Amino acid sequence: MYVNILFLTSALLTVGCAVAMLIARNIMHSCIFLLGTLIGIAGLYVTLGADFVAVTQTMVYVGGIVILMLFAVMLTGGKEFVSRAQKLLGLIPAMGNKWSFGIAFLTSFVFVLSQFVLIKNIVKGVEVTKEAKPFVSTVEEIGELLLTDHVLAFELSSVLLLGALIGAAIIARPRKERVAND
Amino acid sequence: MNTTIAEYFLSFDVFRSFVSRISLWLGTDVTPFIVFMIFLLGALVITLVLATVGGFGTYAERKISADIQARIGPNRVGPYGLFQLIADGIKMVSKEDIAPKTADLFLFYLAPFLAIFGVFSTFAVIPFGSGITLTDLNVGVFYLVAISSLVGVGVFLGGYASNSKWSMLGGMRGASQIISYEIPVTLSILAMVLLSGGMSFGQIVGSQGAFPHQWFLFHNPFSFIAFFVLFTGALAETNRAPFDLPEAESELVSGYHTEYTGMRFGLFALAEYVEVFVVSGVAVSLFLGGYNVPGEEFGHSLAGQGAQATVFFLKTCALYYVVIWIRWTFPRLRVDQLMVICWKYLTPIAIFNLVGCAVWLVVFDGKSMFELFFHH
Repeated sequence: MYVNILFLTSALLTVGCAVAMLIARNIMHSCIFLLGTLIGIAGLYVTLGADFVAVTQTMVYVGGIVILMLFAVMLTGGKEFVSRAQKLLGLIPAMGNKWSFGIAFLTSFVFVLSQFVLIKNIVKGVEVTKEAKPFVSTVEEIGELLLTDHVLAFELSSVLLLGALIGAAIIARPRKERVAND
Repeated sequence: MNTTIAEYFLSFDVFRSFVSRISLWLGTDVTPFIVFMIFLLGALVITLVLATVGGFGTYAERKISADIQARIGPNRVGPYGLFQLIADGIKMVSKEDIAPKTADLFLFYLAPFLAIFGVFSTFAVIPFGSGITLTDLNVGVFYLVAISSLVGVGVFLGGYASNSKWSMLGGMRGASQIISYEIPVTLSILAMVLLSGGMSFGQIVGSQGAFPHQWFLFHNPFSFIAFFVLFTGALAETNRAPFDLPEAESELVSGYHTEYTGMRFGLFALAEYVEVFVVSGVAVSLFLGGYNVPGEEFGHSLAGQGAQATVFFLKTCALYYVVIWIRWTFPRLRVDQLMVICWKYLTPIAIFNLVGCAVWLVVFDGKSMFELFFHH
């Protein structure tokens, strides 16, 4: 029962914040709703028993990516996006209004639903086990797999990240002014 | 032998029989419900206690600073000014709640709650005793580092949403500082994870002992240095002097919470003081033996739990004193010095410590310095 409560809370947080992120006028607000969505996804990982992935999700996205996004939006003029977006909607009719968006959403919803009904008998679903498995920690398994079966992918991605780090440092480095006399 | 509060209660026969009798009476198994209620109650008590500790932090700060500066400090409200905390609280609550006209109101109101949420979420894994832990997560330390980065978002948003130059500068400094210092802190924590072989607080504290020679602080030379790296980084992450650039009074008025009044300011202040307690507690658990008391049997009894919590609180408060002591002793750093210390000194030292700890574990078969010197 508590797993269900956790799942429902996380799912509501994820979906609600995702919708709010899309309809928010201010791009800074969108960033904050994105934060809520990411935390909700971490909650979904917890309900699936993937503790390490959940915490990594929180660590990487909340601690790093969202703050980086906030910085980027703020330094490139956070509030100005609001007026521009409204102007764009008003000037170009092809961008649509709330009625056209509403009709599009309804149509796609009905379409997807009918598709599901059509393929229901063809595709066999995955058997969902009713018995809850006892929770086991995933940290040791992930660590072992990373350094045995998936060691190549692990090393390659670490080299890639190192390259990105060095590249960022080189781009951000202050250029030396050449002295005319030498 | 580390358990959560609920498991600790259920390990007593009296309590188990009590639960089974209720189950019989109601006709269903109420154990999950009881466990949930114990958890809820424990969470409530721990939150209240730590919020009070955070409140007393402001009193301690003023009293110790007064002591260092040869003043008397607050002494009017109650004996030795002890009720100053209540007077401050009443003042905070009864103040007018002002928001700047040009502020981004949604973010302005949200920011203090993000900060306080980030700090209070860490209570879930703090080990006060072998039976007094809300939950002993397998990824406990990692969870703590991850969730406390929400404070950085709160600080940054508080600075941005106020639409004031002081706040903006403070918020930007705060966010960049918190992100940067997370790296040496996490690397130092990782070295301790190596030594104990697990990321749960239960395992980390459990692999240390009650006496100083069993602490991870004196396990090997690298862990000794790692403690100071962690402590310095923790000072910077909680925006404490000499790293209090985000709220530097003499240049930025009050930094990221300049525009906040009343309880919203109070939440930011509370978050800061409680976070200092939390990071002191983490340093104690990782390096200074945590809640360990001599005697395995004694530790499990109720008196032992009390002793463990007392030991934990005493050590943490000692570190808290050092944090305040440092604030009133050292001058504030400049922004460039701050970044130089983090990236050019602390991070390389932390990486060196991590590698050093790993090599030590391989070469000396996981023995501590004390075991090498005295037990052949």
